[in-house]
Amino acid sequence: MAETQERLGQFVDPHVLGRISNLKLLARSVVQGFISGLHRSTYLGRSVDFVEHRAYMPGDDIRQIDWRLFARTDRFYVKQFEADTNTSLTVLLDISRSMNFGSQGITKLDYARYLAASLAVFSQKQRDRIGLVTFDEDIVDFVPPSAKHLEIVLHTIDRVKSTKAGDYRKPLQKIAGATQRRSIVVLISDLYDEPEAILDAVKGLRYKGNDLIVFHVLDPAELSFPYDEAANYRDLESGEAQPFVPEYLRDEYRKLVQEHISRLTHTLGDNKIDYVLMDTSTPLEYALFHFLSSRERMTRTR
Amino acid sequence: MSFLTPVFFLGALALAIPVIIHLTNREKKDVVDFPSLMFLQRIPYRSVRRQRLRHLLLFALRCLALLLLILAFARPFIESPTAANALPLGPREVVFVLDHSYSMGYEDRLERAKDEIRGQIVMLLPDERASFVVFSDRAEISNQPTSDKAQLNAIVNGVTLSARTTRYGPALKLAKKIVDESSLTRKEVFLLTDFQRLGWEGDEDVWFPADTKFTPVDVGSPTSSNLAVTGVILERDKINRTEKINNTSSSVRERLIATARVTYKAPEGDPPLETNIKLLLNGRSLQSKKLQLAPNSSTTVSFDPLTLPGGVSRGTIQLDADKLEIDNAYHFVLWPGQSLNVLLLDGNRRRSLYLDRALAIGDRPSFRLESKRMSQLSAADLAGRHVVFLNDVASVGAARARLLERFVRDGGGLIVAFGEASGRNDFTGDAARLLPAPLGGSTDRSRDWGGTLSYLDYGSPVFDIFGAPHSGDFSAAKFFRYRTFEQPIGSGILARYDDGAVALAEKTLGDGRVLVWTSTLDTFWNDLALQPVFLPFLHQLTKYAASYAEVNAWHAVGEVADLEQFLAVAGEDTAPDGERKVDIVVSSPSGTRTIIPPSEGRALLSLSEQGFYELRQAGSGSGTAVAMALASNLDLTESDLARLDPEELVASVTFRDLSAAAAPAAGETVADRERRQGYWRYLLVAAFIFLATETILSNRLSRARTVVSGVG
Repeated sequence: MAETQERLGQFVDPHVLGRISNLKLLARSVVQGFISGLHRSTYLGRSVDFVEHRAYMPGDDIRQIDWRLFARTDRFYVKQFEADTNTSLTVLLDISRSMNFGSQGITKLDYARYLAASLAVFSQKQRDRIGLVTFDEDIVDFVPPSAKHLEIVLHTIDRVKSTKAGDYRKPLQKIAGATQRRSIVVLISDLYDEPEAILDAVKGLRYKGNDLIVFHVLDPAELSFPYDEAANYRDLESGEAQPFVPEYLRDEYRKLVQEHISRLTHTLGDNKIDYVLMDTSTPLEYALFHFLSSRERMTRTR
Repeated sequence: MSFLTPVFFLGALALAIPVIIHLTNREKKDVVDFPSLMFLQRIPYRSVRRQRLRHLLLFALRCLALLLLILAFARPFIESPTAANALPLGPREVVFVLDHSYSMGYEDRLERAKDEIRGQIVMLLPDERASFVVFSDRAEISNQPTSDKAQLNAIVNGVTLSARTTRYGPALKLAKKIVDESSLTRKEVFLLTDFQRLGWEGDEDVWFPADTKFTPVDVGSPTSSNLAVTGVILERDKINRTEKINNTSSSVRERLIATARVTYKAPEGDPPLETNIKLLLNGRSLQSKKLQLAPNSSTTVSFDPLTLPGGVSRGTIQLDADKLEIDNAYHFVLWPGQSLNVLLLDGNRRRSLYLDRALAIGDRPSFRLESKRMSQLSAADLAGRHVVFLNDVASVGAARARLLERFVRDGGGLIVAFGEASGRNDFTGDAARLLPAPLGGSTDRSRDWGGTLSYLDYGSPVFDIFGAPHSGDFSAAKFFRYRTFEQPIGSGILARYDDGAVALAEKTLGDGRVLVWTSTLDTFWNDLALQPVFLPFLHQLTKYAASYAEVNAWHAVGEVADLEQFLAVAGEDTAPDGERKVDIVVSSPSGTRTIIPPSEGRALLSLSEQGFYELRQAGSGSGTAVAMALASNLDLTESDLARLDPEELVASVTFRDLSAAAAPAAGETVADRERRQGYWRYLLVAAFIFLATETILSNRLSRARTVVSGVG
């Protein structure tokens, strides 16, 4: 455990550490709410959460018959409740070169690492299994979900390096093919691809019954394009460069980015995939708190 | 073609830099790293001037040489067939998994699936084999794998629609079993279905091996609309309550109010549907109503009250036809109200007041109670009885005990309640055989303010309705005196007092049962008769003693119906008399006749069709009106035609192991591997040739330029 704490500390600077320590307190309650919603089993069983009435069938436990309903309708109905269960959390961390960009001291990759580590620690606290997949154009590291893998996950997060260009289809379909058990799957990436292509890549995971959450990590410079000087802008992944005059074209760029975010929101939302935009200038605990509490509200109304 | 060290392709980026430098007019020399030019490239850039490249041949040679060098360092190789997970060659083992659930009756889905199979059968090679798994919620293998195309075509032609629902799991498991057992090298599974969402639970635990090709054939349509009767509620009541008390219930007319629930599922935006719904009784249309339903809506239709004719009535709620017609009808059979014949034998009429009043209430079943003195009991009194009460009887007597024992052994029910009058001396000899143990003395609990019931067997039909919280409080009743047994009873104890003494015990005799209540059924030894639970308790006790079971108005396809229950209800004036002596002839809705002889024991029938099953006892003429019928309805979950994405099902049943891709190809030698990976040498030689050519060409051009400038 001490080693795990040490590992956590290795990639959190003192300034951020203060926020993260606050986050632990803040998020604990949030995560419990988050979990009670998420961890509904696919099976019906015994708990306090009433789901529905069902006509009594021979063989049902007669203690589950609703006698008040019987008194009103003269028919036997049994009450059904939801069962609770623990689950697996698999974090898919994009480590392509485009993630290695940061305009304000912290790169998107570092932000994504903090996010992945935080989610892993939360899940560990509620006795869920934790797994990690890092990928660029292919799978780089694969830590299968297990209740004992927190330290390996943190170690893997600690030593990730972005060296290659990214691709979604190949690595994510490989993971979907290898997944057998339903779990919570968290994809952390900057999503530089067409929304339809991203959906095509992740739908295999969704079709396996996984609960999919996509964190879209962007630097504020990618959202607002604050540069003033005309210059050649070089693609971190392909190395290709293009001259650009921000003064004239900034508005058009911002419009395209907002359109991209809007399309992602709708495309993923229509397929019951949670989409969360994370701006690296927003404190991590703040962004997480907002996501977890909104998800808790959604889960209550589902 | 793949590469062992594709990282060297990063070197190709170096090629891009001079090209970009040459081709673009750089307005600024600064270079700013940005994560992606995805959006920047979409913005048209208007001020780029292109420069002409000089010495295009030289430039091409240099680029080509560099590319070849990069390619050589990237170590190209050709993937072996096994490493690429290619399917092996050879004859195929083909399995056709064909859905014939009733949703396949939507338009011509089943026929299209059969046409698809016929097309595949034509393409089978002589050494290839095929077999069928035909499924609904059940699956069966129709044939052993065969190459005989005539036999395969005959099987396809013989598949008809069933009235059952869809479940993919069992069928896929059977298909997997066939491919697992096959010795052929190539395996292919065709799943021909309309991909209904409700048939797939997602956790079926079926994984086809990597060498099996799984081909989904979707015969469904992206959008579909369906109208269905999704439920019927029948409310019956007696027309005249006075009649009910004075007459036998079979002669009392009943009134029926039928309510049907209709659901229309269609794509949003479709126009509302107008249709008609009819109520038919014994084949005659009695009422019809018009309906208008918006897509994805339900409505409830209540028909006007109608008076039922006597005897068994067959009813149907029928909607106008749509693309899936089978779920537009809902059938039911109305049986006359049943009643139980109860004989009350008691020594004291006053003590039977509560019993008498409690059994006068109730219509499903009603109780026809008749009282007699014990001393007047004869064999004729027991004929046609379902239950006999011995309420605090003073003296049973050997002859009457034997009569009662025979009555119980033939399937009757006997309920014995003790009190002041009855004692241990009254149940000796033959009478003692009626009790689970010899009767002892009485226990007086009046000094400690009475005992209570502390144990009730909620698993027993007598108490099961009281099992849930707030479903009846027996603990409020006080018991001041009760009889005890001399010996402990091993089993059959349904209730105990708080001191452990037996309150209610059961003894099985032949086909019937004896229930012994060790206290009174009035207010003399206890106050149970004043508690709210007394009436339902006494009804449950009587029904359990009579082995009463209510006849359902309809069953669902897939259920197993107990036909003897129907026969018993049809001849309701006859007492249960044990074994059946004659055959039962069953005609299914499609007209298939089945004979169930007495030798098969209890007459059970598995329902597989929708409609009315007609029952006859052998000997009753087929020309006479059908006296007995039972209705069988569809499982309406299948009416929901919501679709499953075929890719989702395929993703769930096919599993690719990540480690398998990385594993070396089996049986591959070092020489083979070297041959597949040795292309870098040729590329290196080609690069050197290009570089040499470039050097020669460049020297010549340089010399020429020098000559030209020298001349100038």
